[in-house]
Amino acid sequence: MNDIYSPVNEKEVSDFIYECHKDSSPIEIIGNNSKKIGRVIQCSKTLCLEKINGIIEYFPEELYIKVKVGTSLEEIENTLDSKNQTFGFEPMDLGFLYEGKSRGGTIGGVVACNLSGPRRFKIGALRDHLLGFKAINGSGEQIKSGGTVVKNVTGYDLSKLVSGSYGTLCALTEVTLKVLPKYEYQETFCLYGLNHNEAINFFSTAMDTSLEISGACFYPADNTRFFRLNDIKQNNSILSLRVEGPKTSVQERIQQLRKIFGASDYSVLDIFQSKAFWNLSKNLELFKNTNEIVCKLSLPITNASEFLSKFSNDIKYFIDWAGGLIWLSTKDVETISKMRIFSVKNNGHLTIYKSDDNYRRTEEFLTCGDTNFKILSSKIKKSFDPNLILNPGKMYAGI
Amino acid sequence: MVLHLPEADQKILDNKSLIVKELNRFTNNVLSDNDELRPYETDGLNVYKQKPLAVVLPENTREVSEILKYCYQHNIKVVPRGAGTGLSGGSLPLKDCVLMSMGKFNKILEKDFKNRCVVTQPGVTNLAITQAVQDQGYYYAPDPSSQLACSIGGNIAENSGGVHSLKYGTTTNNVLGVEIVLIDGTILRIGGKHLDSEGYDLLGVFMGSEGLLGVVTEATVKILKKPEAVRAVLIGFNSIEDAGSCVSDVISKGIVPAGMEIMDKPLIIATENYAKAGYPRDVEALLIVEIDGTASEVEAMIQKVLDIAKMNKASYNKASNSDEERMKFWKGRKAAFSACGVISPDYICMDGSIPRNKLADVLGYINQLSKKYNLRVANCFHAGDGNLHPLIMFDSNDPKELKKAEDFGADILKYCVKVGGVLSGEHGIGVEKRELMCEMFNNNDIQQQLSLKKAFDKKNLLNPGKVYPILHRCAEEGRIHIHKGKTKFPDLPRF
Ligand SMILES: Cc1cc2nc3c(=O)[nH]c(=O)nc-3n(C[C@H](O)[C@H](O)[C@H](O)COP(=O)(O)OP(=O)(O)OC[C@H]3O[C@@H](n4cnc5c(N)ncnc54)[C@H](O)[C@@H]3O)c2cc1C
Repeated sequence: MNDIYSPVNEKEVSDFIYECHKDSSPIEIIGNNSKKIGRVIQCSKTLCLEKINGIIEYFPEELYIKVKVGTSLEEIENTLDSKNQTFGFEPMDLGFLYEGKSRGGTIGGVVACNLSGPRRFKIGALRDHLLGFKAINGSGEQIKSGGTVVKNVTGYDLSKLVSGSYGTLCALTEVTLKVLPKYEYQETFCLYGLNHNEAINFFSTAMDTSLEISGACFYPADNTRFFRLNDIKQNNSILSLRVEGPKTSVQERIQQLRKIFGASDYSVLDIFQSKAFWNLSKNLELFKNTNEIVCKLSLPITNASEFLSKFSNDIKYFIDWAGGLIWLSTKDVETISKMRIFSVKNNGHLTIYKSDDNYRRTEEFLTCGDTNFKILSSKIKKSFDPNLILNPGKMYAGI
Repeated sequence: MVLHLPEADQKILDNKSLIVKELNRFTNNVLSDNDELRPYETDGLNVYKQKPLAVVLPENTREVSEILKYCYQHNIKVVPRGAGTGLSGGSLPLKDCVLMSMGKFNKILEKDFKNRCVVTQPGVTNLAITQAVQDQGYYYAPDPSSQLACSIGGNIAENSGGVHSLKYGTTTNNVLGVEIVLIDGTILRIGGKHLDSEGYDLLGVFMGSEGLLGVVTEATVKILKKPEAVRAVLIGFNSIEDAGSCVSDVISKGIVPAGMEIMDKPLIIATENYAKAGYPRDVEALLIVEIDGTASEVEAMIQKVLDIAKMNKASYNKASNSDEERMKFWKGRKAAFSACGVISPDYICMDGSIPRNKLADVLGYINQLSKKYNLRVANCFHAGDGNLHPLIMFDSNDPKELKKAEDFGADILKYCVKVGGVLSGEHGIGVEKRELMCEMFNNNDIQQQLSLKKAFDKKNLLNPGKVYPILHRCAEEGRIHIHKGKTKFPDLPRF
């Protein structure tokens, strides 16, 4: 085990990185080490940002919160909850995936992985909610970008770049995130017994309305047992459509869904079950404690059917984002290679979310088919971190 | 008006005829006569004018790539241009540049309703996208007032917004993918019909990059289903403070209107005279709130908004009872700029973003400045997201007035930053606000941005002289990060 350094303020982070920069000595950056995500990397030093924590300012009426990166997701969500607000992007709690129990980790980790939940297709990804940040780049310099306001075209939007950069560009120290008032009410309309082709078509029908569906997922019949909710019919595949907003509007829209899909077998989840359902789904509880390799596959909706026709027998999966995202697991490394080829050919993206360390060491974490993209990525990495010391190799070997 | 631009390269100027000849190898559309160049000498910020060396109008990605590669190899600067409606001088030419107009990229390539997107060339106008899909009940959400003229490529470069950005976001939230060509001719496709490619978010950082990182040759944009019902209300107030606090209350009650705009009295009068939208003339501030959703939701929300308005001492209200009436409400607001053009020989439109609760404070300050500079000002705000557009009126026949107007504008923006806002909400920095960047960023911040620029364009040939200060200001102000008494990287250029 190498030395773990846990600075307590920005200046200490800056000094530490500056020294490492001078010696070109690689650093692994961690929050509270909750996520075993990305490639396994060899670093002589570990920088733990957990002690850079605390809420800096929270202005509910301005709809933003500014926090230090080591603050736990739980603490932040509780704070927002006290003002009846929330993050629109529904951050995922990957604790269930890695450890079988809740562990949301630090907000820095959530931002670094751009973790966005079921509402993503309607409201944007986490990175669309990051208004600004402060960080220390790979030369040990303090940098900042963005601000606290939603509309901002003042220099490059570095917030977009740092979210989902897995700590390879800079060590974040402070983030400002947009928050939203909670929806007053929600219900979920569940349809049973569809196959994946029908599901994709039904998504399309639902999305072709003005009903403002804010969650749309599909679980095949074998994969639904973990939803222990009264109004879920077990032993069936489930297609779920979430509707959120003022109560009368939600009920009206559910009524319209009844009209459209009423000929099929269905049930409606009340607000409590609906919330529970989407939490279970969002936190990937389908894959709780799995030893298989877990992947996230983003595809154009129209390619999802073809993908599933090819691979559904070899994988455990569910569909999210109204057909745009497939979460899946498999033991078979060969299958993953084939899926990577499929994703590149069909303009999609496959990311490994969980795997054993051997796979993480030897195989790609992301799937990139474009050499020019990699060349530019490598230049971008160097523009933040000239000596390649921050989480080197975590995203791509050599970058 | 004297504007500092990067120094022209005399060798390039001397070689004009050769360069033009070479450019003709790559495309049939090269303009180089003085008369032909004139239409390209300025953009929406027409106080600055400069003819380029030559204009090219490529017709496909290959031509773009070959032209850029040629320019890169010969160290020729390139300025991309869409429709030229930009308000910060982003497509202002340089004397020794090749201006690349994307006007011939004017086709919509694919309407894909299953994936709910449109694939388009960048020269297509913003409004044309909506027009292409509206028969199927779809539309493209960002709606800048210039939507009839401005191009999608320009929208991407400026991350443009509109009155409906409050609910549906700006361009960055509505573009799924782009094809771009880098200055060395490399063609890259980023994103596409799927969401969230992993890897560095080049798509995100490209939005609002003001033509400095690459040339957009294709875009895949998201289309949305039209809402079931839409209504708007006009609400009048006797003070701007009341209007501002009404906006804050609406937002903090969890209501997300499709749009929420404020106009101040001078603008109400100007637009009412110009567009006859039916606005009340006896109020100090007018708020337009638009709500969309299901029919009953819209009714309920309109009522809630009116209740909140009443609590904030609203003196007037009127709800739209038909789509025609609703469009009429917007007609005034969308004609705000033209209306100012009628009452004043010239105006410049500023664009700052501030925290919503600072609206009244900032407006009060703007009025003080108006007296100080003795120039008229009219204000509109995208109030829901704190984006304000003061329109400063002046007469360019009086050489002193432009300078005064510019100083007035700069003072407003500095104040925006002071109260926690930013220099630009949607028009970009361009040449206009370049020297103010140090109000927001210190030397480290700017060096980081410049080094990112280098990753895309190491010779700094693509749209140089825009966005970042060239008058050495931040560096001279001495805000360089001093580490243990030593400046880091003393050899790094301090621009
Ligand atoms: C009357 C009026 C009203 C306006 N209202 C609004 C408004 O409500 N909201 C708003 O946001 N803006 C508004 N604007 C500003 C302007 O319309 C927008 O900034 C618009 O997006 C500019 O588009 P354009 O095609 O005219 O771009 P241009 O002005 O030609 O260029 C703008 C920038 O984009 C770059 N660029 C253009 N095309 C490309 C490309 N293909 N690849 C790379 N870079 C490119 C240029 O280099 C330049 O930096 C308004 C302007 C006017 C005149």
